[in-house]
Amino acid sequence: MPDHTSSGMQCHEFDGLLTDALDGVLSGVQLDTFQAHARTCSACGPLFAEVEAGRNWLKDLTEVEPPVSLVNNILASTTGVDTQRLRVNVSAPQPRITWVERAQAWASGAMQPIWGTVRQPRFAMSFGMAFFALSVALSVAGVKPADLRQISLRPSAIRHTYYNTQARVVRYYDNIKLVYQVQAAVRELKRNVTPAESRPGESAPAKKDHKNDTTQQPEQKQDRNYSQNENHLILACAPLGPSVFDPMSQDPLNQDPLNPDLPVVSVTTYRRFV
Amino acid sequence: MLVRRCVAGDAAAWEEIVQTYNRRIYNICYRFAGSADDAEDLAQEVFIKIYRTLASYDSSKGAFVTWVTTITRNLLVDHFRKTKQDRITDSLDATTSAHEDAQPLSEQIQDQSAPPDQHVRSREVQESVHAALARLSPELREAVILRDLQDFDYREIATVLKVPEGTVKSRINRGRAELARLLQRTYRQVM
Repeated sequence: MPDHTSSGMQCHEFDGLLTDALDGVLSGVQLDTFQAHARTCSACGPLFAEVEAGRNWLKDLTEVEPPVSLVNNILASTTGVDTQRLRVNVSAPQPRITWVERAQAWASGAMQPIWGTVRQPRFAMSFGMAFFALSVALSVAGVKPADLRQISLRPSAIRHTYYNTQARVVRYYDNIKLVYQVQAAVRELKRNVTPAESRPGESAPAKKDHKNDTTQQPEQKQDRNYSQNENHLILACAPLGPSVFDPMSQDPLNQDPLNPDLPVVSVTTYRRFV
Repeated sequence: MLVRRCVAGDAAAWEEIVQTYNRRIYNICYRFAGSADDAEDLAQEVFIKIYRTLASYDSSKGAFVTWVTTITRNLLVDHFRKTKQDRITDSLDATTSAHEDAQPLSEQIQDQSAPPDQHVRSREVQESVHAALARLSPELREAVILRDLQDFDYREIATVLKVPEGTVKSRINRGRAELARLLQRTYRQVM
């Protein structure tokens, strides 16, 4: 805005009084000076007209009605209270609520989080799988639902069942012990009855190591009589007397081993059970 | 008293506050934002903010309506800053205030020569003024709205806008003049 003096008023003074002039608070000499400046100044005159026109345009704007739901939405978003519903509840007669209904309402409120979890498909699937696995395990173990029905849960019955089960276990253990004792006795008896075949060093000739045999020689057949069992009695003959025959000796016991008249002594050896 | 009751937890007092001020706040939001949907959302946000900060209101510093309007104005300015980028993008298709010669409002205003009746004409004038108001800069717009639409005095406006009274008067004058220029240009083109 060009700042020059016209009719005894500068333009910036005119600008400062513009709102007061439009509000009608100017009076007297100040108002006359203002009006004179507006008539003579080429910048401030049109400005005053524009400002006045703008204000008149704005007078045409009336207030708009807020949406009907605005108050309810505000109250619901601040206090969480829906006043429209409250008003309906206040105007309507209040039904009597019994203590059972209150308990149900409380229970439903308390169970809401749990029930919400249970209602999820994932939980239902897991529960179904667990139930299936349990039923299979019970059927494999031989437990029948009919048996469960006959179970008495009285303390005396539970105690009775406990002692019965304990006695059964002890009896089973004792039976096993008896079996072991019988087996041990039988084994001892066999050991006493069965003779030893020979000493281990003699009875087991040097075995050929077939795997490491690289001589390509034909394998010698085993001179063992398979018809004889290890438990069979093995008879062995041995000359009674010195092991070295001396033809010059006068000892009656020193006889020719080829002489068939010599007495035969049988020696029984036992073969050890393995 | 109402505020004290509300701070003490009186729900009825809060409802009374909402009933008293919702119209004023909605209108400020509507005139500033330009659309009814935005105004409804903004009004709700304003009341949520008031509800949360109600305990901080000091009656010795000013009237409750001034405090409420200050909160509203601050929230509107924040909203304007947030959506400024969107408007800049939109303005590529529309004309700005610096290029008003390219028919800024004529596309939105019907032919004024033969209005069906006075009521329709009044409604159309209101729509054109509302559209012109939305084209003002935020500083001029908020000053004009508070003065000419909400009837605040200059001191209250200065408190709300946190500027001197002289600046408030200057902004009001510039806003009114700019609005008149926009509307005169529009009607001259239509006529």
